[in-house]
Amino acid sequence: MELAGSGGSDGGRMGIKVSQEIVVVAISVILVLVFSATLNNFLSQGNIIAILKNVSILGTLAVGMGFIVVGRGIDLTMVAVMVVGVAFSIWISTWGIDFTLAIICGALLAAAIGLFTGIMVAIAEIPPIFATLAIASSVYGSGRIVFASDVLYAPSNIGWLKFVGSGTILGIPMSVVIFGAVAALMGFFLRKTRFGRLVYATGDNPNAARTTGLPTRPIIVTQYVISALIAFTAGIIMLGLVTGIDTRLYNSSLIYDVLLVVVLGGIGLSGGQGGVRNVIAGTILVGILTNGMTILNFSYTSQNLIKSVILLGALAIDAIINPRDEQTSQSGDI
Amino acid sequence: MKILKNCLLAGLTALTLLGAAQVAGAQETDQVGRSTYLESLKGKKVIFVPISQGMDLNQAWVVVWQRHAARYGFTLEVRDPSGDTNAGIRAMQGAIAEKPDLIIVQNPDVQTYARLLKQAQAAGIKVLQVNMQSATQTDSYVGNDWIEMGRLEMGELAKHCTGPNAVSHKVVWLAGVQTGAANIYMRTGIDEVLKANPELQLVSDQPADYMSEKARQITETVLQQHPDLCGIMGIWDNAEVGAGAAVVAAGKQDQVTIVTNGAGSATGCESIKNGLLDVIFNFNAPIQAEIAAQQISELLQQPGRKAGSEKTIFFGPITRVDKTNATGRNCWKLDELK
Repeated sequence: MELAGSGGSDGGRMGIKVSQEIVVVAISVILVLVFSATLNNFLSQGNIIAILKNVSILGTLAVGMGFIVVGRGIDLTMVAVMVVGVAFSIWISTWGIDFTLAIICGALLAAAIGLFTGIMVAIAEIPPIFATLAIASSVYGSGRIVFASDVLYAPSNIGWLKFVGSGTILGIPMSVVIFGAVAALMGFFLRKTRFGRLVYATGDNPNAARTTGLPTRPIIVTQYVISALIAFTAGIIMLGLVTGIDTRLYNSSLIYDVLLVVVLGGIGLSGGQGGVRNVIAGTILVGILTNGMTILNFSYTSQNLIKSVILLGALAIDAIINPRDEQTSQSGDI
Repeated sequence: MKILKNCLLAGLTALTLLGAAQVAGAQETDQVGRSTYLESLKGKKVIFVPISQGMDLNQAWVVVWQRHAARYGFTLEVRDPSGDTNAGIRAMQGAIAEKPDLIIVQNPDVQTYARLLKQAQAAGIKVLQVNMQSATQTDSYVGNDWIEMGRLEMGELAKHCTGPNAVSHKVVWLAGVQTGAANIYMRTGIDEVLKANPELQLVSDQPADYMSEKARQITETVLQQHPDLCGIMGIWDNAEVGAGAAVVAAGKQDQVTIVTNGAGSATGCESIKNGLLDVIFNFNAPIQAEIAAQQISELLQQPGRKAGSEKTIFFGPITRVDKTNATGRNCWKLDELK
């Protein structure tokens, strides 16, 4: 169940229970212990909700990225699709179109970009890292030409958007509920549906999957459409939380943070392994770290330094516990 | 005889008047220095390297300068690196290689272009810096007095967060990019106010990177630790709406005062009306642009002056905008500037 679809190559590792995911969880637990011993209010209900709320966008994006990486792909278009999709919705709503309808149009645009990316990767067979890098740049570039401003504000009277930003269900903020729902749906999809199993099969060995007669191309195209829609969802969360979207996010390190969360959680870039649980483990570690360091008022530079050292440490521990053998290293990383 | 004398006088007077009118007429057709002025601007080449043309202040500047360029016949080319520092360096190198008459530059931080600006001056190109300075001083700087800005913002918080009625003395500084000129100099002003008001307690000093979501996350985390927070000061109205959103989400909009600065665009006024921000120190980008336009025309009119031989600084006006005056000229829209 743990590494379903990973075939024989991991057979020898199945006996070792200390996976990277467990290393990450262990580091998170240690951090929680340290922070709660040294900081007031760290374990308060409010702060725990704040941690979850602050990683809801990162986590949602990471679920989409994880889904792609499981299928041995990579989607660097996510942040571009997120900001441009949502900015497009706001832009057309300024023409007088109903905002909800505008959001649906934005979702359609995101899906169309995902479809195009999928076709480039699956049918034109451009390696995903290059295809998505180029498409991300063109999507953002087109957006920059069309929308005059970097920051676009949503109309202030949209009830459901306010609910996304500040509403709660059973005391849990909507942003966290949406992240949870996306993660749960994805988990179910990957584990319990035939399509999900096909994604693992494709990711583990695309050639074998294709030779066996699996529809690998439609699977890959669908994956990119779904990840684009998940990116758009993350954008909606952001729009709800801060009332506007800043397209300059594309220039930030967000897309690498997303990738980091995925890899850190234990989804290998070689595909076919891991699942939503890994994404959540990675997301929560980053959330706890950022929160603790913000409370401690560490400078930006030292925050980045500490974050990188801990993340590198997690990867190093995994490399020591689960050394690569000839077979795993042959599969490559991208 | 007397009549003849009178006629002569009248005739002379009329002649004199006529002559004077002719002289006056000649002056009207050629206002002193006008043609030299117009001639000196015509066909000149100006290149602007901004941080990102997607920001409201940049759009206001360029709209105003384009208006001047169209009227006086010089060209203004905008090389937009869109927030990418490496692209900015390439844009600067390209601009220097083209040897324009003037480069206008908005520095992403004090170091990145410092050497390039020296090169430009050495190559004889005049350089006007706008709003964000480099460590290298060039012919002219037009923009904010950032130390004053830091003083004004923290001073505003000092008004609310000192004294017996203050909810607490805790304040937050949501910085921008720590190596940026605005950030470095505002910090000097902030420290002056903090020194003068020792009871003020700076509980968090984190850069939000001019991003509203980052500002929201920091504010939310800080509010958990300091539920009695009194004030937040920031660096750009479009980023601090995120801080405002976190404060509103916590239901503390009456308790926490949020002060920031901005270019004075209508979106900032909207944020004040929506209760996301309390005070914006408005540096009015269109007025800044007019001051810069004056500098552009001065630098272009002095082709003989060696680049970098005279260094001048002009600070623009700063207006305190809150709920009571978030209207009219304090809230410009781009279309009105064209």
